[in-house]
This record gives sequence, structure tokens and C-alpha cells, in this order.
Amino acid sequence: MAKWGMVIDLEKCTGCQACSTACQMENNRLPGENYQDVLYYTEGKQPTPTLKWFPRPCMHCEEPSCLHVCPTKATFKTADGVVLIDWNKCIGCKFCMIACPYGVRFYTDEKPLIEPNIKDVFKGSGDLSWNPPYKGPQQDNAHGVGIQPNGVVSKCTFCYHKISKAPAGTANLTNEDEATREFTPACVRTCAPTARYFGDLDNPNSEVSRMISSKKGTRLLEHTGNKPQVYYVTGSGAGGGAAVPMGRNGINKV
Amino acid sequence: MTTQVEAKGPVGMAMMAGVAGLVISLGIVFSNLMSSGHASFNTGSNGVTWGLPVVNYVFFVLTSTGLTFVASLAMVFGFKEFYPIAKRCVWLAVVTLIAGFASLALEIGHPFRMLWAIPLSFQYLSPLNWMGVFYLAYLVLLLLKFQKVNANDWDSSGSRTLGIASFVAVVIAHGTLGGVFGAMIMRPMWYGPLVPIYFLLTAAVSGAAFAVLITYLTYGSAGNMPEKVRNLMAGSMSKVFAAVLAVVILAVVSRTVIGLWTNADGMQVWDHVVASPWYWIEIVLMVAAFLMLVNGSSPMLPALMVIVSLFIGRYEFIISGQLVPLFKGSWVPGLIQYTPSLTEWMTTLVAFSIALAGWAVGEKMLNLAAAPEGKNS
Repeated sequence: MAKWGMVIDLEKCTGCQACSTACQMENNRLPGENYQDVLYYTEGKQPTPTLKWFPRPCMHCEEPSCLHVCPTKATFKTADGVVLIDWNKCIGCKFCMIACPYGVRFYTDEKPLIEPNIKDVFKGSGDLSWNPPYKGPQQDNAHGVGIQPNGVVSKCTFCYHKISKAPAGTANLTNEDEATREFTPACVRTCAPTARYFGDLDNPNSEVSRMISSKKGTRLLEHTGNKPQVYYVTGSGAGGGAAVPMGRNGINKV
Repeated sequence: MTTQVEAKGPVGMAMMAGVAGLVISLGIVFSNLMSSGHASFNTGSNGVTWGLPVVNYVFFVLTSTGLTFVASLAMVFGFKEFYPIAKRCVWLAVVTLIAGFASLALEIGHPFRMLWAIPLSFQYLSPLNWMGVFYLAYLVLLLLKFQKVNANDWDSSGSRTLGIASFVAVVIAHGTLGGVFGAMIMRPMWYGPLVPIYFLLTAAVSGAAFAVLITYLTYGSAGNMPEKVRNLMAGSMSKVFAAVLAVVILAVVSRTVIGLWTNADGMQVWDHVVASPWYWIEIVLMVAAFLMLVNGSSPMLPALMVIVSLFIGRYEFIISGQLVPLFKGSWVPGLIQYTPSLTEWMTTLVAFSIALAGWAVGEKMLNLAAAPEGKNS
């Protein structure tokens, strides 16, 4: 069984946000509820401030604090290492949103980010919070895939509807290989500068494993002990503007 | 045999106010929740996740904890002079617990699903799971204990065991509630192994304040109180209240100083906390209440001041812990702005109304002034 993980090469990330857009289309995200986001921020002060950015999906942690705090086991980890939410069991207590150090979880019932409220324009039927004119993945409430029902929390699934169909023993899921293209997460598939790599962290020959070992892959907020399965490769740090943000105390968040 | 003491305070008025408050607040909350769901709250995934309804919840369940402590002084620890207010405190513990639960139920996405999903899943790692288990056990034990006391069974071994069991259950329950916040290392303002102890102290003072205030409301004034109640209020109750309050003041000041000193990311929120006039109102109310208590003035006003101060404190704790965004970005503010919506304030009114009406109903129908023979006036 694979242990899926991702590597994001910050030396190659151009901050184009194609990943966020692809994710929004693939997973029918509402504005402001980006499973995959690129955070823009400024580092340094006048007269030499620099614009930087940081791509941030769910980290699908090895020790997910969101899972530990969920009182109903609605948040669970699959055998292949993906953290998902069973929308049939989620009670909407939002403790997972409190406990996630990365801020990558979203509650359905909130004030809309933009007007008109898209949920009002495309009203949902039954339990579903809205009914978009286009629909991406098959509705799979037990794995938190599809349109979010009312009163629950949602998050990035690593495009579980795609990766779970990959043939057993696959080491890399990449857009460049026709055999794996359809099973590759939308953000990875669409990344123009190929800054994203996806594969089996347990396979020493996978691209992600090789990159982590050869380029010193680092993980975000290690002090929380969550052990993300998304690694960042920062290189010399002298590349473009993609970088791991520093905390307000000036300490790097890695 | 127990003595029925006629309440001379504004119990009837309190009941009417409570029922009116409940009708109004539930009307507004339900109509807004039906029309726009939790979008009628000012909470959000990119802002404050747990808003005012959670503040109400923590405020009331910890008040319930404290009221059990006060009742336990007589029923568990044998300080018999507290008997004249013990039954009332047990009843108040029940109604404040229900008030807290009610506010939380209005905040949760699927409160009914919670009833089966938590026990059937039983995530033993989650503090919230254990909080549910022990607060439920506590509620059941409290009701059983009240039933015993209401049947004038104060001292049988069964009644005593129930008293001890509910005391133990609530200590653990409030400890798990402390864990809900104290275990969150990613939210440094909340994090700390002593948060359950901090909750224990503030719960105790909250219970003491409510016990005093409600006793005064029951009788109207000290002059109307039976002698033993009057002596208790002016004597031991005031002293216990003042002592616990002093420790709480120290705890709040200590948290503030450490918070301001620490420069871990997330602790900057303390600058915001002390810049708010509400923080200083909280401190001044507590210190003034303490000074009034040690100077021997009537504990009624200090009780009211402490209740207001504690509510501010709960708000400050729960909301401020979420104000520093986890990551910064060009569209992410330095600090999140949060003001509760009308619907959220109405959940506060729901909780206060349940507590008020619940107390008044008990006072009218359940002879809350009862005490074991020879222990009451």
C-alpha cells in the first residue's frame, strides 16, 4: 500500500495559482474556501520589502492533530495515508479547524466572501449546500469528496477520487506519464513549472522520496509534531519569491 | 423534617424575565438559523472559528462546576454551615449546565447527529469526547443527587456517594474542558498543562459568585434571610469567595505577564488584550470586588461584579486565542477582527434565560431552601 505524499519545489513555484484554480474547478470550491491556496505576503520592511508567496495544500499529516481531536472519528486516515472527512459522521463542532496548525479546513455555513452569495444563486437540493452548474468528482460523502453538505467541515482530499484509482504499486503520479495522468491530483497535474511532485513516500525509488533525500525536503511547523506528508524543497533560498513564511517573531515556520 | 422558607425576593419576576428572554432569544435564533444557518454568526474558517456561543458554553458549564464545589463544601467535605445553600447550589448546577449545553447545541452543525456519533465512534484521543462523557455523567449524577436531597435524604450512604461521585465527575469533566484548550500547542495563547487548573480556579469563583447572587435574589435582602443563611453569607461564604477570588486575580495577572513577556508567534495577541478597555474592566471589577469582600461589605455586589468580570474573561480567553492568523498573507490581517452578531448575542440571552427561569422554577416548586434537620434556621 502506498503512502501518498507531495513535494513542492519552492525554487520552481512561480506563484501563478494555477494549482488553486484547478483545485477549485476539480472540487467545486466556493470563493474563500480554497483547499489549495497560495498565500502572498511581504517580507522585510521599506525600502526593501519583497513580495513572497507560499503554496499551501492540506499537509495530510502522519500524526494529524485534526484527527486526534475529532470526537466522532469523522476525520480519519486512509490506509494509503490520506486524511479525509466522513461527512456522514461530522457534527460540525469545528474542533478540527481549531486544532489544525495549517488552517486548511473549512466549515460550510459561513458568511459568503463575495456577493451575490453563490450558494443562493445555485441553490442546493437535499442536504447539499449548493448545486453548481458544473460538477467535478462523483459525490462521495463518506470520503468528503464532492459538494459539501450543510453543517460539516471539508478539506483537501489529495483528489482522493483520482489517486485511489491508481494501480497498486505506482511510485509516481505525474502528468507527464500518460499511464498515471488521470490519477494525478489536479494541482499537481496543472502546475505549469512542474513544482509539484506526487507519489509514494514509502517507495525509496519514487520521485518524491528521491527529492526529499537529495534536496533536503523540509516540513512545515515541525514543533507541533504533526509530521506533514507534504514536503517543501527550498534549495539555497536564493531563488524566486516562493518561500516558507517566517512567523511574526522572525523565526522560520519550518 | 425540613423547614420551608418563603422566598421574599423577586423570584416571580425572575421567572417572567427568564421566560420572556427565552421566548425572544429562541425566536430570533431559530428564525435566523432557519433562514441563513450559521452564516448568521460572524464566525468563519478564515477568522474566529469558535465564537460567542462557545464563550457562553464555557462560562456556564464552569459556573455549574463551581456551584457543585460550593454544594460539596457541605455535602462532601462536611462544612455543615454551607447546608442552607447546598440544595439550591445543586439545582443551580443543573440549570447552568443545561444553559451551557443549550448554547453549544445552537453552535454545532449537527447537534442531533452528535448524540449518536460521539458514543458510537468513541474517539478516546479527543478531549471533546471525554468532555461529553464526563459532563453527561456529571449531569446524571447531579440529577440523582438532587432527587435524593429533594426526598430529604441528605446523609444516607447512597446520597453521600452520589455527592462524592458528582464532585469527582465534575473535576474530571472540567479538566477535559481545560484539555480542549490547553492541549492546543498550535494556539499558544491557550496552550499549557495548567489550563485545567486555571479553569478549576475560575470555575470555583464563578460558582461562589452565583451562589451568593442567587441567595440574595431568593431572599431579596440580607434582612429577609434566615439567620444561618445571613451568617453564612457574611461569614464563611464571603471568606471562601474572597480567598478564591484572590487566587484567580493572581492567576489572571500571571497569565497576562507571561503572555506579554513571551514572544512566541501567536502570543502577540496579549498586546491586543491589554490594550482593550474590557481587560481593565475585568481586572478592576475583580480587584474592587476582592477589596469590598475583605472590608466586610455585603457580598452581593461583589458577586455581580465578579460574574461580569468572569464573562469578559471567558470571552477574552476563547476569542483572543484565535485572533492571530495561523499564517500571514497579503490579505490576512495582522489580527482577526471579530464582533459577535445579533444571533450570537441571542444565544447568550438563551443561556442566561434558561439559568434564570430554571432557578426561579426550582425556587417556586422544589423548596431549594431545604436543609437537613437542625442545619437550617
